Amino acid sequence: MHKKIVTLALGAAVSLAASGAYAGNAGPNDIRAGVYLVHFDAQAGDISGPYVPPGLNLHVDNVATLYLAYVRSLSTHFSLELTAGYPPLTKTEGRGPATLGSVPYNGKIISTARWFSPSLLLEYVFGDANSRLRPYVGVGVNYTMFFSRQSTAAGNAASGGPTSISLPSSVGPAATVGLSYEINDRWHVYGSYSIAQVNTKLTADTAGLQRTSEIHFWPNALVISAGYSF
Amino acid sequence: MLRKLVVLGAILGALGLAGCGSNSPTGKVASSDARGTLLDNPPLRVASANAATFTAQLNSTPSGQQLLQLAGPPACGVDFYYIKYWTIGPDNSPQLASGALMVPTGTSAPCTGPRPIVLYAHGTATQSTYNIADISDTSNPAYTESAMVAAVFAAQGYIVVAPNYLGYDISTLGYHPFLDGAANATDMMDALGAARTALLSTFTPTTSDDGKLYVTGYSEGGYVAMATVKAMQAAGEAVTASAPSSGPYALEAFGDAIFFGQVNLGSTAFGPMTRSSYNHAYGNLHNTPAQVFSATYASGIDSLLPSPEPFASLVQSGKLPQTAFFDSAIPTSATGISAVDTAADQLLALPVSPPYTAAQAALFDTGFGNPYLINNSYRVEYVDDAVVNPDQAEMTLLDPTHPMLTSSNIALAATPAVGLRQDLKLNDMRNSGWAPQEPMLLCGGDQDPTVFFQNTQIMAAEWAPYVQGGLVSELDLNATPSGPFQALQAGFQLTYAGLATVDGPAAIASYHTTEAPFCMAAARGFFAQVP
Repeated sequence: MHKKIVTLALGAAVSLAASGAYAGNAGPNDIRAGVYLVHFDAQAGDISGPYVPPGLNLHVDNVATLYLAYVRSLSTHFSLELTAGYPPLTKTEGRGPATLGSVPYNGKIISTARWFSPSLLLEYVFGDANSRLRPYVGVGVNYTMFFSRQSTAAGNAASGGPTSISLPSSVGPAATVGLSYEINDRWHVYGSYSIAQVNTKLTADTAGLQRTSEIHFWPNALVISAGYSF
Repeated sequence: MLRKLVVLGAILGALGLAGCGSNSPTGKVASSDARGTLLDNPPLRVASANAATFTAQLNSTPSGQQLLQLAGPPACGVDFYYIKYWTIGPDNSPQLASGALMVPTGTSAPCTGPRPIVLYAHGTATQSTYNIADISDTSNPAYTESAMVAAVFAAQGYIVVAPNYLGYDISTLGYHPFLDGAANATDMMDALGAARTALLSTFTPTTSDDGKLYVTGYSEGGYVAMATVKAMQAAGEAVTASAPSSGPYALEAFGDAIFFGQVNLGSTAFGPMTRSSYNHAYGNLHNTPAQVFSATYASGIDSLLPSPEPFASLVQSGKLPQTAFFDSAIPTSATGISAVDTAADQLLALPVSPPYTAAQAALFDTGFGNPYLINNSYRVEYVDDAVVNPDQAEMTLLDPTHPMLTSSNIALAATPAVGLRQDLKLNDMRNSGWAPQEPMLLCGGDQDPTVFFQNTQIMAAEWAPYVQGGLVSELDLNATPSGPFQALQAGFQLTYAGLATVDGPAAIASYHTTEAPFCMAAARGFFAQVP
């Protein structure tokens, strides 16, 4: 199902691109780089499983990372953005009692993961093609995969031993709203606010016993970037 | 198009995906199902309590406060590990089992470095969810015993290994090899082997086995502990000392006493578990349950215990009687042999006071009723055999002149004909003429209504030379306090007197469980004397 959605979105992009019209004089392609300030706004269900006391929860720390995007202008008002951040090291903190027995828990970094989270967005750009300042809005699809998942020493201590962590990939809606400012034909600066929905299920496996927590992220990011058109 | 792909590739390359996909390693899972193999290594640490948090946990309940008084304040913290290991069932099939490894923690001398191991066997559990490692769940049927073992032993610097037994927790055997000495000992020894492996990979690997091994257990666990000492001696494995407590060691005599009407508390659970265990192991207890159990309860009884449900629920749903083991309408023997019938009829009659105390006679009365568990025909069959092939120890105990039990009047039945008596004889600790080679303490209380103290007395008589030589010690918590355990004797008697003040004669129902921590504390004191 996820694959179909991605395929559909890419198909739509290609067909729109076939129109050949684009804004500006430099060319239809735009490479952007900047900073991605991600607030995860994660809501996790209490951890459940064997030997888990009630009231154990998680918190995902905010991160800042490198923003990279490729934007293809489709017409004066439409463009397609493939965007991603450099996979940031995201830290998950324990939330709940200060200690589990004598093992510190609350506020301890119990796991880390990197995630690759590209979004494909169809954007509508307001204003005239020659305007220096152009707001835009976009909707699309986000795909998120997690990797380099690690339980920390504190996580292993809280879990009761070496722990492997599973976080399945997620496909969900994404949206953005932003503003571009043209410095010259080639260079622009951008400010945008994006949000996506990511649903996953954390499964921690310790000595064959699994503990789980459903995690719903609404990662919303403030992006400041510069773009080069060609 | 090529240019687009290059751009996309540059972005993806910049995102550093080439090295993605790794996950933090977990422990190793054993590929062998050989006996004593630890399945998950390192094992799962279920809970970790330092001395202060464990003290606080115990102080949070009245029973925990009493335990603290008896066991003393924890000198060490305790890490509780859940171990899964391979053992074999009575049919020699590989079986997965589980248990607890409790490791003392802390920096003070008795809590770290090389430490002695206590191999602990738990008492009868009717619930299959019993998991002595689960100290984090106060609703687990093993919680009280787990806390007790941890407080008495682990928090005082002993590494504790305690199997859950086959038939419990993750075991898929489908029944529990109840009072099957060889099978129980095998399970204990395999748990010990797996725990020794696990010790090398705990969070405190510097806490290690110092080579001393103490074996103890309570109630059914007392029997299992003794069977384990027997098996380890036979295998040439060293046991430093042991302390089986309140166990049914002299099984044949104990079985005879029950069928003669001295019905013990708990018999309506012990009976089905014994039948299921021995029929699986030996197949000689009648093929159909209805030949042993009354029609009221026969259906499904072979697979009833241990059950996910508490015993009280089984009684409430009509699957077992609370206490009515036998029919209150007393059957008679009809072998046609006058001497046998006369003797059997006397033994089938309700026990009266004397020779028993009034409290005991009242207790035995509760073992009779209607509906009842055991068929009259089966009871008569058993008692007839006990007359023809008597257990000498039980006959000595029934002798109105009360002769002392000696090694010359406690012989097992020579050739019992009834399957159950054959099985009880086979598993009776008098069988095969063995004796402990290292110090052993036998603790119990002489008014125990659940596992009669005669079990201890018979073994003490069996090993009289060892008792006289000081290798085997007998401790009756109910005797006039004297000797090295007089404080525990006085403490038990005071505690029980307090219960009797509140509950009256009904306090007898708590006698067996009240003994447990006192015998456990006695075991610790005894072990400390055998360095």
